[in-house]
Amino acid sequence: MMVEVKSIYFRHNEGSREILKDINFCAPQGSITAVLGPNGSGKSTLFRCIVGLWRPSRGEVFVGRKNTRELSFRERAQLFAMVPQDHHPPFPYKVFDVVLMGRASYVGMFSSPKKKDYEATEEAISLVGINHIRNKPYTKISGGERQLVLIARALAQASPVIILDEPTSHLDFRNQLKVLTTIRSISKERQITVLVTFHDPNLSMLFADYAVIINDGSVIATGPPHQIVTEELIKRVYGVETKILAWNGAKLVCPILSAK
Amino acid sequence: MDDTVRSTKIIFISISPILVGWLAIFIGVYGITPTVVFKILFSDVFSSFQPGDIPERAIIMDIRLPRIILAGIVGASLGGSGVVLQAIFRNPLVDPFILGISAGAAFGCAISVGFLAFLPVQPMAFLWAIVAVVLAYVTARTQGEISRLPLILSGVIVSAFFTALVSIVKFLVDPHKLQSIVYWLMGSFSLSDWRLVKLAFGGIFLGLMPPFLMRWRLNVISMGEEEAKSLGVNVKRDRIIFIACSTLAVATAVSVCGIIGWVGLMVPHLVRMMVGPDHRILFPLSLAGGASFMIVADTISRTITTFDIPVGIITALTGAPFFIYLMKRGGKEAWGV
Repeated sequence: MMVEVKSIYFRHNEGSREILKDINFCAPQGSITAVLGPNGSGKSTLFRCIVGLWRPSRGEVFVGRKNTRELSFRERAQLFAMVPQDHHPPFPYKVFDVVLMGRASYVGMFSSPKKKDYEATEEAISLVGINHIRNKPYTKISGGERQLVLIARALAQASPVIILDEPTSHLDFRNQLKVLTTIRSISKERQITVLVTFHDPNLSMLFADYAVIINDGSVIATGPPHQIVTEELIKRVYGVETKILAWNGAKLVCPILSAK
Repeated sequence: MDDTVRSTKIIFISISPILVGWLAIFIGVYGITPTVVFKILFSDVFSSFQPGDIPERAIIMDIRLPRIILAGIVGASLGGSGVVLQAIFRNPLVDPFILGISAGAAFGCAISVGFLAFLPVQPMAFLWAIVAVVLAYVTARTQGEISRLPLILSGVIVSAFFTALVSIVKFLVDPHKLQSIVYWLMGSFSLSDWRLVKLAFGGIFLGLMPPFLMRWRLNVISMGEEEAKSLGVNVKRDRIIFIACSTLAVATAVSVCGIIGWVGLMVPHLVRMMVGPDHRILFPLSLAGGASFMIVADTISRTITTFDIPVGIITALTGAPFFIYLMKRGGKEAWGV
């Protein structure tokens, strides 16, 4: 389903500085939309507002035609699955049990997971390709594997939208590519709408269908990344001199390092 | 972990309260043979075994059996609430004792015993235990999340505060009552009877039943507040239910047998090391493990000397060194660091 963000404003308290100002964009179904911007530009805040962890002071988020403003945690979880940044839970749950937690919004309050929850978990595990680590403690696997486990959990959640907050920031080069390739194939196969933040504009050039550039709490450009990411835009947002290189149909941002 | 080994451990822990409870009947200052115990226990069912008014009958039915059952119920309550608190605070270092719940309940009991004899002990214990845990929680909470160290510190502060209040009660109360308060604060099952068993069972059953049904949610909530919310759990509501229920279970335990430390911290660790952290299994087995542990500790406390030493002393004496041993041996695995 399409995600439509309509003039979202956010501030922590009445009278404090506005962190988000009139954010508008659309994330079409079955595509990857990357949110780019420097540290502190409001990317994580925006994601928290979209999934409803924080309440925007103004504005609405639509999924399909549904306004998400008055939904309960349970209803929201069935629309949005959130993949958090790398974290360490206090107890060494098995990988399978972590993926199973994705079913929390389908399990009654005084109940435990049932057969269909186990089936959804099994399916998510094999789709992401982590069957070989299913019985390992979640605390004992690598950072790349942990991201894959959290992606599997998001799939078990069976929500039409998956939101990833800097999914690759702790990963090495190979694992970055592995995680992002997995996300892309799942998004296409399942027609899942993916929202993701990146530090590196190149990752959006490689993996995203659309990009939303945020600076200082406002959207300054939206569109396909190879069209909107330009040398001027990078200079304006990150304050870095770059050269856009084209090779084999792909475009990449190469920073120009000054000699002094 | 090998599946058959794990199943064996699960079965062993589940039936352990019955095993140790059975053994504990024979052990005591007055030795009783298994045949006599059988005869007495089944005399109501099979009238042909009627053993008559032998002294063993009174010892078993009026003294040992209620005491063993009470110890089991209290142990289950402490083990179960320890698991719940460790999960919802995402902190393997907390237990009812450390969070100040026990001290709050003790204060409630002390003023009820000392000054306000017309007020029943249990509601007072529950009320002040709730005050204590809310204080510890509010003190530790900064910007929505609860970090580990502040929670321990605020628990220590609240505990110290209520212990001081108990001291004031002890100072002001008349000497006859003082003795019973002091002895009871050390934690003991020596006053057990069937009335206390019923009372404890009622409160502890009420306190442990909701967490038992909701135990899978403990897995989700232990991942952190934001994460659990995004998975669809109403964390605030669930946390209130869990805290209120475990506080009820602990306050009831404190009101029947005083403060018994370490069990709520140690039992969940032990069981987690044996069967893993999944609360669907960990919670029920911590009830069983807590019951067994408490029955063993109480049996030691009533047989090791000719006096009945308070069991709270036994749990602390065995608990501290045992905990150090656990930390050295498998702490990393169990604490997930």
